[in-house]
Amino acid sequence: MARNKFDIDETLETPFDIRHLKRALVYCGRYKGKIFLSLTLSAVAAIVGLLAPLFSQYALDVSLPEGNIPQIIILGALMLASIVISVLLSAKRSRIMTKVGQDIVYDIRKDLFEHLQKLPFEYYDSRPHGKILVRVINYINSISDLMTDGIIKFILEIFNLIFIMIFMFFVSWQLALVVICGLPVFAVVMLLIKNKQRKAWQQVSNKSSNLNAYIHESIVGTKVTQMFTREEVNAEIFDKLQNNYRKSWMRAVTFSNLVWPTVDNVSIWVRGAIFITGLLVFGTGTVSLGNIIAMCSYASRFWQPLLNLSNLMNTFINAVSYLERIFETMDEPVSVCDKEDAKEMPEIKGEVSFNNVTFAYETGPNILENLSFTAKAGESIALVGPTGAGKTTIVSLLSRFYNLSGGEIDIDGTDISSVTLHSLRSQMGIMLQDSFIFSGTIMENIKYGKLDATDEEAMEAAKIVGVDEFISSLPNGYYTEVNERGSGLSQGQKQLISFARTILADPKILVLDEATSSIDAKTERYLQRGIDHLLKGRTSFIIAHRLSTIRNCDKIMYISNKGITECGSHDSLIEKKGDYYKLYTSQAI
Amino acid sequence: MFLLRWLWSNLSGYRGRYIAAMFLSVICQSMYIITPMMSQRIVDTFIVAENGAEMVRTQPDLLIMMVAAMIGFTFLRTCMTYSANMLYESTSQAVMYRVRKKLYDNINMQDATFYHTHRTGDIMTRMSGDMDMVRHSVAWIIKNVLESLVLFIVSIVYFFSMDPITALCLIALTPVIFIASFIFKRKVRPMYVNLREKLSQMNTLAEENISGNRVVKAFAREDHEIKRFDEKSREYSAANKAAALKWMDFFPTIEITAQALSVVQLVACGIFVVMGRITVGEFTAFAGLIWTLANPMRNIGTIINDFQRFSASANKIIELYYGRTKVADREDAVELTERIKGDIEFKNVSFSYGKTRVLHDINLNIKAGETVAIMGATGSGKTTLVELISRIYDVESGQVTVDGHDVRMMRLKQLRESVGVATQDVLLYSDTVEGNIAFGNVDMSKDEVTKCADIADAGGFIQKLSEGYETIIGERGVGLSGGQKQRIALARAVAVKPSILILDDTTSAVDLETETRIQEHLRNLDFNCTKIIIAQRISSAKDADKIVILKDGTISDIGTHEELIRREGYYKEVYELQR
Repeated sequence: MARNKFDIDETLETPFDIRHLKRALVYCGRYKGKIFLSLTLSAVAAIVGLLAPLFSQYALDVSLPEGNIPQIIILGALMLASIVISVLLSAKRSRIMTKVGQDIVYDIRKDLFEHLQKLPFEYYDSRPHGKILVRVINYINSISDLMTDGIIKFILEIFNLIFIMIFMFFVSWQLALVVICGLPVFAVVMLLIKNKQRKAWQQVSNKSSNLNAYIHESIVGTKVTQMFTREEVNAEIFDKLQNNYRKSWMRAVTFSNLVWPTVDNVSIWVRGAIFITGLLVFGTGTVSLGNIIAMCSYASRFWQPLLNLSNLMNTFINAVSYLERIFETMDEPVSVCDKEDAKEMPEIKGEVSFNNVTFAYETGPNILENLSFTAKAGESIALVGPTGAGKTTIVSLLSRFYNLSGGEIDIDGTDISSVTLHSLRSQMGIMLQDSFIFSGTIMENIKYGKLDATDEEAMEAAKIVGVDEFISSLPNGYYTEVNERGSGLSQGQKQLISFARTILADPKILVLDEATSSIDAKTERYLQRGIDHLLKGRTSFIIAHRLSTIRNCDKIMYISNKGITECGSHDSLIEKKGDYYKLYTSQAI
Repeated sequence: MFLLRWLWSNLSGYRGRYIAAMFLSVICQSMYIITPMMSQRIVDTFIVAENGAEMVRTQPDLLIMMVAAMIGFTFLRTCMTYSANMLYESTSQAVMYRVRKKLYDNINMQDATFYHTHRTGDIMTRMSGDMDMVRHSVAWIIKNVLESLVLFIVSIVYFFSMDPITALCLIALTPVIFIASFIFKRKVRPMYVNLREKLSQMNTLAEENISGNRVVKAFAREDHEIKRFDEKSREYSAANKAAALKWMDFFPTIEITAQALSVVQLVACGIFVVMGRITVGEFTAFAGLIWTLANPMRNIGTIINDFQRFSASANKIIELYYGRTKVADREDAVELTERIKGDIEFKNVSFSYGKTRVLHDINLNIKAGETVAIMGATGSGKTTLVELISRIYDVESGQVTVDGHDVRMMRLKQLRESVGVATQDVLLYSDTVEGNIAFGNVDMSKDEVTKCADIADAGGFIQKLSEGYETIIGERGVGLSGGQKQRIALARAVAVKPSILILDDTTSAVDLETETRIQEHLRNLDFNCTKIIIAQRISSAKDADKIVILKDGTISDIGTHEELIRREGYYKEVYELQR
C-alpha cells in the first residue's frame, strides 16, 4: 500500500455490503436481553399512549351531551394516568437504551483500539496519524446516535407500519390499496437518492479525515511552521481542505434533506387520492363515508412511521460511511503476530544469530541480503556504516518489528518468529532514535519501562544515566508534568529520560540506536561509565556515529551494500585499513 | 448571552441568509398548522355536510380543486422547508468554517509556552468535536428555539382569542415546565463540562498512543496502553450516560406536564361546555390544536440540554479563539527594506521556562557572514539561545538584535523569513520529499529543490527512493533513517536562502564523511549568510570562526578551535574524549 498524505482520499477497499450491518448487529446482540426489554416497554407505552385520545373521544360522544361533569373528571383522571404510565415506561426504555447504546459504542471503540495495538509499524508509517485518530474518536462518536436510539426506533416503526396496514385493510381494502400505491413512488425516489447519498457521505468522511490529518500535523509542527513563516501557505491549504469538506457536506445534505419533503408530499398525494377515489371513483355506495374519514387518519398514521423510517435511513447511511471505515481498520491484517503455536520466549541469555537474513520494506528493494552473523551472550556489538545502510533495520528485526523476507533470526537457538511477541519484546531494551515523551510526570515516563517499579528504582535509573541532577533541579522534581512538545525539555534531556526508561526495564538484550546523538560528549562519557557495568552480561547492539562511543565494543560490524562488509574488533579493523579505518581516520581531528 | 453574540459576530456576511432561513422556517411552521385545516374543509364540505353526496355529484370540480390546492400548498411548503434547511446548513457550515479558520490561524501563531499547557489531543478535540457542536447549534438549536417560540406565541394568541379563561387554565401548567427546566439546566451544565473534558482526555491518550506507537511496541506495552485507554474510554462512556440520564430524570416531569395539557383541556373545556361557556365545536377545535402548545413546551427540555452541551464546547473554542500570543508584531514594528545582513547581538539576555532559569546574562556578538559554533552540556541552553533569534520565545530581559534592530521591533514575518533553521527534532510532513524541502519556499523550481538537496548531500539517497523526489514520506519522517531526516531538514533550511542559517545538531546522526561534504557545500553557498552551528562533535565545530561554550545558561568560554584546545575547559575535555 502506498503511503497516504493529508490531501489524498483513502480508497475504500471493499464496497458496502450487508455484512457491515450484520457485524454492527453482532455488537447489539450482546445486549439482546436489554434491547428486547426496551422493545416490550416501548410497545406497552405506545399502546397505553393510544388510550388517551379514546378518553377524549368518549367524553365528546357521551359525557358532554349528558352534561356529566363527574364523569368528565374521572375521564380526565384516567387520561392522566395513561399519560403518566406511558411516559414513565418510555423514560425507563430510554434509560436502558442510553446505557446499551453507550456500551455498544464503548465495545466497538475497545475492539478498534485493541486491534490498533496489534498493527505493525508499517500501518502507522503509511498514513498521517490524524487519520487514525479520527477513526478512534470522531468516527465512533458519530455512530453513537444510531446505536442509542436507531435500532429500537427502527424495529418499532416497522411494527407500527405492519400494524396500521392490517388495520387499513380491515377498514377498506380498496382504499388501503390506494394508500399503498404511494409506496412505489416513495421507493423510486429513495432508490434514486440512496446511492448518491451514500457516495456523498463517504466523501464527507474522507474529507473530514483529510482535514483532521492536516490539523494534527499542523499542531505537531507549529514550531517548524513559524520558523519557516509558512502560516499563510498553511492557511491556504487548510482553506482548501475546509472548502472540500464543506462542499462534500453540502452535497450530502442536498440529498439527505430531500427525503423528508418527499415523504411529506407523497403522503398528501395519498390523502388526496383517498378523497378522490373514495368519493368519485368508487362512488358513495362502495365505501362508507365514515371509512373515508377513518382512512384519512390511518393514511397519515401510515406515513408517519415511514417518515421516521426515512429519517432513520438518513442517520443510517451517514453512520455506515463511518462504520465501514471503522471495520476496515479492524480488518487491517496484522502482519506481525504470534503464530498459532507460539511459545513463550524463555529467559534470554543473549546469544543472537542472524542466518541468511533478507529483508525488504513492503514491495521496495531489498535492504538486507543474506546477512549472517552470530553474537555470543554478553557481547557488545557496534553497527557502523553510511546513513541509510540498514543499521536501524537490523536492530528492528531483532525485536521482530517486521517479518523477514528470508532467513531466520535465533536468540539462544530459538527462532524468534516462533515465540510470542510479548515474551520477546519485553526482554529487549530498545533506545530508539526518536524518543517519545508521554504527557504525564517525568516519573511516569521513566516507569513506562517497568510499570511496577518503585520511585527509588526509577530515580536509580535516572542517576545511572546522569539525568537525576537535572530532574531534581526542577521545581517539582520527578513529578514535573511534561509532554511531547513544549515543557522545556531539551532534546538531549528527552533522550536521557528515555534512556532511564530503557535501563529501568532491565532488558536482557540492549539496543542503543543513536541513543546518545543529542547528548554532549561529556554527559555521554558519564553515561557510558554508568551503563558499562549494566552492559556486563548483557548482549548489546549499539549504533552510533561518534566512534568514541563504540571503540570499546567487542565487535564492530560495518554495514554497507545490504550486508556486513567488515567485522572485527576496533584494533583488527584499524589494522585491516578498510572502510572502518577510513571512517575512523576521517573522524580524527 | 455572550455565546449568542459571539455566534452572531461570526455570522457576518451570512446574516442575510440566516435571517431568510429563520423567516422561511417561521412561515413553514405556520403553514404546517394550515394543512390539516384544508383537509378538514374537504371532509366538512363533502362528507360531514348533509348535502355532501349532493356536492360530490354536482361539484366534482370543486373537490378536485380543493385536493389540488392541498397538494399544491404542501408542495410549496415542503419546498420552502427544504430551502430553509439548506440555508441553515450553509450558514452553519459557514460559521464553522470561519471559526475553525480563525482557530487554525491562532494555533499557528501561538508561542511555544502555549504548548506547555495544551496537549495535542485537546486541541484536536476543539477543532473537531467541539466545532461540530457550533455547527449543530447554528443549524438546529437556534432554529428549534425560534420555531417553538413562534408556535407557542401563535397558539397562545389563538387560544386567548377563542376563550381567555380556557387559555389561562392551559397556561397554568407552564410554570411547572419552566421550573423543572431551570433546575435541569443547573444540574446538567457541569455534566457536559465534564463530558467534554473526558472526551479531550480520551483524545489525548489515543493521540499519544498513535504518535508514540514505536515506544509502545519497543516496550511491549500494548496491554498497558489498552488498559489506560480503556479507563478513559470507560470514563467518557460513563460521563455520556450520566448526562443523558440526568436528562431522563427531568424528562418525565416535562413530558407529563406537556401531555397533561390534554387532560386540562378535557376537564376544563368539558366543564365549560356543560356550563355552556363554550360550544362543542370550540371544544373540538381546542382538542385539535392542543399540540401547538404542548410541542413547544416539551421542546424546552431538549433545547436546554443541547444548549448546555453547546456552551461547554463553545467555551473551550472561545478560549482558543481569543487566545493571544505574546510573541506578535508590535504596532510600531519596523519593516526593513533591504535583505538582512546577519549581524546578531545578544545583550545581557536572560530567559526562563516557568521558574527554571535557562539563560543568564548572555552577551554575544556575531558578525554577518561569520560561522559560530555553540557547544555545551545537555540542557545548557543551546537550542533556547538560537530560538531567541527568530523569536520562538521572547527574552525575559536584555535584548537580541539583528542588524542592530531589536528583534521584538522587527516584523515577525520578515525576521523569521531571514532565519533558516534545521531543527534538532526533525518534523517532516506526510508529503513528498520535494514538498518537504520546498516547505518554506513553495514556489521553488524542481532544479532548485535538487540543488538544495545536493547541498545537504541528500540528492543521492533521495534518487534511490522508490519514487525519487515524489516519494511520500511519512509523518515525522518515519521510514527514513535519522541521518536522512536530518539532511532533508537541512535542505529545507537552505531552501529559504536565509541570512542566518541555524543548524541545531543537524549532523549528529550523519556519518563523518557525509558531514565533511556538507560542511564543504555550506562554505560555498551562493548567498551570504551567518551560520550558527549547534554541535556535540568537535568535527562539526572546529572550523568555526568562533566557538561558544555554554554552561548552565552562561557563556563559559569563547574562542577558536586552536585557542580552545590550548586551555583547560569543556572544549579541551571533549576534544580529548573524541580524539
